[in-house]
Amino acid sequence: MNTTKTEPRRTHAIDLNVLNRPEKPALDQLETCISVENLNLFYGSKQALHDVNMQMPHKKVTAYIGPSGCGKSTLLRCINRMNDLVDGVSIQGKILLDGEDIYDKNVNVAALRRRVGMVFQKPNPFPKTIYENVAYGLRIQGINDRRILDEIVENSLRGAALWDEVKNRLNDNALGLSGGQQQRLVIARAIAIEPEVILLDEPASALDPISTLKIEELIDELKEKYTIVIVTHNMQQAARVSDFTAFMYMGELIEFGETSTLFTNPAKKQTEDYITGRYG
Amino acid sequence: MSDTQSSPDKSTLLQLSSSDAYQRWRLLKDKLVAQAVVIGGLSIIAAILVIFFYLLYVVYPLLIASHAESVSSYAAPEPAMGSTVLLSMEEQNEIGVRFTDTGKAIFFSVADGRVIKVDNLPVPDGLQISSFSHGGVDQGVIGLGLSDGRALVVRHDYKVSYPDNKRLITPSIQYPLGTDPLVLDANHQAITQLTLKLGDKNNSFLAKTADNRLLLITLSKKQSLFDDDVSWDRTDALLDMTSGDVDFMLIDKEFRNAYLANHSGDLTVLDINDKAQPVIKHKLNVMNRGARISSMEFLNGDLSLLIGDSSGELGQWTIVRDKQNHHSVQKLRSFKVSDAPLITINPEQRRKGLLVADANGVIGIYNTTAEREAIKEKIGSSKPLAATLSPRANALLLQTEDGQIHHWKVDNEHPEISWKSLWGKVWYESYAEPAYIWQSSAASNDFEPKMSLTPLLFGTLKASFYAMLVAIPLALCGAVYTGYFMAPSVRQYIKPGIEIMGALPTVILGFLAGLWLAPFVEIHLTGIFTLLMLVPLGVMIFAYFWQSLPKVWRNHVPEGWHAIVLVPVVMFFTWLSFVIGPYIDTLCFGGDLRIWMREEFGLGYDQRNTLVVGLAMGFAVIPMVFSIAEDAIFSVPKHLTTGSLALGATPWQTLAKVVILTASPGIFSAVMIGLGRAVGETMIVLMATGNTPVMDISIFQGLRTLSANIAVEMPESEVDSTHYRVLFLAALVLFMFTFIVNSLAELVRQNLRQKYSSL
Repeated sequence: MNTTKTEPRRTHAIDLNVLNRPEKPALDQLETCISVENLNLFYGSKQALHDVNMQMPHKKVTAYIGPSGCGKSTLLRCINRMNDLVDGVSIQGKILLDGEDIYDKNVNVAALRRRVGMVFQKPNPFPKTIYENVAYGLRIQGINDRRILDEIVENSLRGAALWDEVKNRLNDNALGLSGGQQQRLVIARAIAIEPEVILLDEPASALDPISTLKIEELIDELKEKYTIVIVTHNMQQAARVSDFTAFMYMGELIEFGETSTLFTNPAKKQTEDYITGRYG
Repeated sequence: MSDTQSSPDKSTLLQLSSSDAYQRWRLLKDKLVAQAVVIGGLSIIAAILVIFFYLLYVVYPLLIASHAESVSSYAAPEPAMGSTVLLSMEEQNEIGVRFTDTGKAIFFSVADGRVIKVDNLPVPDGLQISSFSHGGVDQGVIGLGLSDGRALVVRHDYKVSYPDNKRLITPSIQYPLGTDPLVLDANHQAITQLTLKLGDKNNSFLAKTADNRLLLITLSKKQSLFDDDVSWDRTDALLDMTSGDVDFMLIDKEFRNAYLANHSGDLTVLDINDKAQPVIKHKLNVMNRGARISSMEFLNGDLSLLIGDSSGELGQWTIVRDKQNHHSVQKLRSFKVSDAPLITINPEQRRKGLLVADANGVIGIYNTTAEREAIKEKIGSSKPLAATLSPRANALLLQTEDGQIHHWKVDNEHPEISWKSLWGKVWYESYAEPAYIWQSSAASNDFEPKMSLTPLLFGTLKASFYAMLVAIPLALCGAVYTGYFMAPSVRQYIKPGIEIMGALPTVILGFLAGLWLAPFVEIHLTGIFTLLMLVPLGVMIFAYFWQSLPKVWRNHVPEGWHAIVLVPVVMFFTWLSFVIGPYIDTLCFGGDLRIWMREEFGLGYDQRNTLVVGLAMGFAVIPMVFSIAEDAIFSVPKHLTTGSLALGATPWQTLAKVVILTASPGIFSAVMIGLGRAVGETMIVLMATGNTPVMDISIFQGLRTLSANIAVEMPESEVDSTHYRVLFLAALVLFMFTFIVNSLAELVRQNLRQKYSSL
């Protein structure tokens, strides 16, 4: 680094102009999609989430922010029970999806995950063709009718704003796509099975700025149809794409509210410290 | 670095302390390591090439064509002493001998025809030699039928001595039955046709007299019980001659059969086991299309007849016994030598080869086993009179009617080998039909080596197949479970545990298989098969009950520990199989499965069989296949499996559609490396297969593999012999096989990896 000159510290880490959005209904007026109730999570004996309570509204974008290790990804992964795959995890409390407890012993985890899609930080297309990647979720549901598949694949790729780029090479290996394309392919793959919720775990952190922009535009379009929960490190991104924001710190939910409120007028001192860049 | 030098004002502590010498040393180390890696790789390739070319170098003489070249030709020595009836040569190709129709034996130098010695055979005065015969070329015995019904038996013999450290060969004429001629025909008729055979216990003569009687005279040795006195019992038999003329006669060395033939092709085989009462065993005509027999000899070993005819065809005939125990005379094969009558046949003395000459002076050297024409040359310009092949079959003499003796050198080291004798079905002497046989050596010189690599290759593939049949399902299923389902805390013990299994020396596995497993399997055969069915079934039944157990019980077993619960289940069902095995035997198979199989299906049971090898070698192959496949499955990126699970796939779907697919290059190479290991494995097959080179697909029969064959026979094979080179050829075949399998596997693997390599 040759920069010797340090920039003056900004009072706000984000551009508040993006928050000026019209007609924003309050959180409690909205229909709740996911409700987290008294959630505690332990990795072995170490507690990673402390008594989390929150209601995420239907067809809105909820962003989790917070410093590394604050538990935001862990909380996200509770929503589709991906934490079940981690050794030694135990969970207390409830998560209700449309009023049903997803941790009930009668829940079919595979069926739950079909309803709650997930996109990971690192693009993870399968080593198959573009077409087969998108069709994967359908095939495992037993849908093999070529006409149905063709249609859903096209719609999903259009929905993920990737169709025009790949329509002529659907049978190429998906690993030949660029990182940003791969991430949109993964989103297409997730929406192909028409979930109710899409979980995005830092979806743009491994991408270049232009790809990031495309993903963000995509999120804006997707919330027309899906409830979206996004974990992000990038507060600008949270401010740009989300309707509601949760700030987490040390496994606790510090503050949860409308994005514009949280960023401009945080209720808690910790939130303010974080969004003004004092730590994290 | 140039930056640092151009702007010294900016130099920091770091830049100062990092010296130029250190930078150079760093780069040098990097280069050295790069070179070392390159040298290492190249030397491996070089080592493989050296092995390949060494094998090829040893095998190469099998592939080159034989040839013969003229060394010298000269006028027959002492032409005044009569015309040649028989030519012969001694072991070192130094001295030849020419027997004449006037009873002279003229020894001469093979190189230039100089006379060394002339012996007068003691033919009594006033008698003529009316017939002439050799009693087997390897014995050097010659019989002379005289005009008064007597016969003289002589042998040409060579003594080797080393005066002044120089080899000196002294020829002489011996009289095995004394110098007095033996009376064959009491009626004193001239012997017009004679054949004889001298043995340890018997001496037999077949003589045709001028008045067309055929006599079989046998002298049997009688050793006194009390002293060394030897007396001879004489048995005479008069043979029925009504069936026609006899022009060719032969007695085999076992004194079992006599063969009589005439020019028109009528062959009669006489059983002479009873010397007083010979019986006609077979009678047939061996000629077709109006050809006439022009010569007849035994092939080395006296088991088959070589019959040359006037159309230039040479046939090999032998007595074969079929499965119903019927004996018949069969033509094994024939060679078309030329269009002229074949007038002389000289069998090789130590191999199944022969020298044949036709009336135009065309000679051919053939090998019957390989059905191969090694050499065909035209010698001289006139009709051959006599020919001989040296005892080592590396030189030949041929006298033509113009009195010239032609001396040729023969280079024919490995005539037994042809594509057909190595890979095809060959009709061996005394065999009922053509067959694939490996039987490379025996104690006697006249043994016909049977060097078909087909049964060995078959054995190799069979053993590998059954080993893979055992290993692949167990190893791959184990790898899938360990790599994908098993809890890491269990996996860290299981994986090294199975890998240690692979470190077990195969010789230990081999003798356990041979000495413990083979008898165990033999006794508990039904138990083994019960086990194969009961254990998978039992595991499934247990799994079903497990599902219906209360969750409280099940929760005691953490995720990924279920394999441990199965251990007692598998042990129980294994024990159960062996307990109920005998009852199943009694109930279904009349007490013994082996006897039942033999009686119902004609399936024989060898104690050392493919089942045992399959189990033992499967056990040896499992660790390698398991380890490589497990690595491949375990290293499938977690983000792919989570990606699949996040899309609502069940763990099984994720395994089948993502994990196996992504791990397929590794799984494939695991299988191929396992196959390579099974094909090349030696100790286990050596000790547990019984090493019987049979071609039988039955799992209860033994086998012999290429590798075990090399291990068994290499120590006893004579260096540079055909056998030795064929063993190297077997090694080369093995090498090529594994090389091709591995190369193909690597190509497929690269291809798969390109397709499925994930990130």
